[in-house]
Amino acid sequence: MKAAVLAWFWHGIEKLGLIATKPASRLLEELDFLAIVLASAGLVGRGQWRFLVRHTLQQIYFTAVQRAYMFTVVGLIIGALMAFPLIVFRIHDPQLLGRIMHIMMYHQLDPILAALFVAGLSGSAITAELGELRANQAIEHLAAMGIDPYGFFVLPRLLGMVLSLLLLTCWLNVGVTVGAAAMLNLYQNIPFAAFLRVCAAGLTRASLLLTAGMVVAQAIHIILVQTMHAFRVRAYVDVPRALPGAFAQSFIGCLVVGLLFSLIRYG
Amino acid sequence: MAEVPLRLRDLVLDVRPVPAPFDFCALPGELWMLVGAVNSGRRELIRTIAGLSGPRSGRVELFGRDVARLWPRARAKLRSQLGVVLEQAGLVPAWSVFENLSLLIRYHDLVPAGDIEGYVVDFVESCRLPRTILGRLAGELTPLESDWVGLLRALIVKPKLFLFSAYLPQETLAAGYSARTFFEDVIRPMNMTILVDAGPQALPIEPETRLLVMERGTMLAAGPARELADHSDALVRRHSYVGRA
Repeated sequence: MKAAVLAWFWHGIEKLGLIATKPASRLLEELDFLAIVLASAGLVGRGQWRFLVRHTLQQIYFTAVQRAYMFTVVGLIIGALMAFPLIVFRIHDPQLLGRIMHIMMYHQLDPILAALFVAGLSGSAITAELGELRANQAIEHLAAMGIDPYGFFVLPRLLGMVLSLLLLTCWLNVGVTVGAAAMLNLYQNIPFAAFLRVCAAGLTRASLLLTAGMVVAQAIHIILVQTMHAFRVRAYVDVPRALPGAFAQSFIGCLVVGLLFSLIRYG
Repeated sequence: MAEVPLRLRDLVLDVRPVPAPFDFCALPGELWMLVGAVNSGRRELIRTIAGLSGPRSGRVELFGRDVARLWPRARAKLRSQLGVVLEQAGLVPAWSVFENLSLLIRYHDLVPAGDIEGYVVDFVESCRLPRTILGRLAGELTPLESDWVGLLRALIVKPKLFLFSAYLPQETLAAGYSARTFFEDVIRPMNMTILVDAGPQALPIEPETRLLVMERGTMLAAGPARELADHSDALVRRHSYVGRA
């Protein structure tokens, strides 16, 4: 009886330890995967560059170009929504409005929202596509015949996603700024040009670099998580199971990345 | 002297229970049929040679070189001489048949870029498949068509070593070709080393057919069916029954 209780106790401790170390083990797994993908860049031979360029451009087209219209609409609506509290609190000072735009939107919410959309739309599409290729053994066939699956399938998506998320975050910022400027102009008579000027004035090189770094880290995280989930697929039934997990993990990771960069920026 | 396409040394497959090590060698132009019961290790052997599973121990040598000791780029170049067909067709569904067939040729720079289209069309027509299939999306093919295209994708690179581990479609797709006649008329004349794990009744076993008899993850015997028919092991004799299929 005592031995059973002791075994149960140690089993509980082990479980707790596993839960506590889970984020660290996931991070290590992700870094390991990133190292494999980056190493695959070194294996790209003469005839293979055109595949890398073509697939990277395709990824940018599917992620950024096809979603530009949606990001414009979403940006304008979010800009209008975020202007309402400012109108309610009767904040008229353009300098203060510009600061609020920077701290709330450009540094925090916009990159998170862009990452959320991209993880949900393109990230899930990538998991489904690569998951299907795993399930129908396409990746195994090509690997057996000399095609590096990391360099061929993951690397172009990684590059495309990094560039796309940078573009989309910029685009979302523009949409949000225009939406907010329109609402503030309508309700508080703040001149459109004056609001845009204070928003642009706060864009320092350091701030832009930090935001770009955060967006790049988020894009890398999204692709790694989504492709790792896809590469774990064994059969077709695993594909729909992989999608929610991949989305949740990539989005939570993006939040953590945002938090870390905010700590660097303001802490 | 031609290099040996495939040599296995002290190979222990990664299956349970741990099997005994074995050696095997396939010379240029030889056709070997893998025979054995279900879960005898035939599938694992093909996957190990294809580099999709690692062996527990031992060496896999392709064209005289130990695969495990090669740098990834050299390994990829070596593997470009392999044609592999696994259980499923493994086509990229969003691509056309032409894109699927031309991928390996483009990737490994096997044919000048300007000649690829003509090369693929000629190859498809030489296999008596209608060229109209090239424009169709792989995802829209029937399972039978997918199996054929998967087979052609492995053959179009003119591999020196061909690993076939799939159900051999018995239905006829190409005009006049059944799977068996396709094997005899198209695949055999390509003069490559072939390892076939196509399950029972896939191809007829003739006295000169080379058999690799597997059991519990290891090789029981290897040689022409004529010789194995008198083997001391009853299991080997059973699998070496000439005329089966």
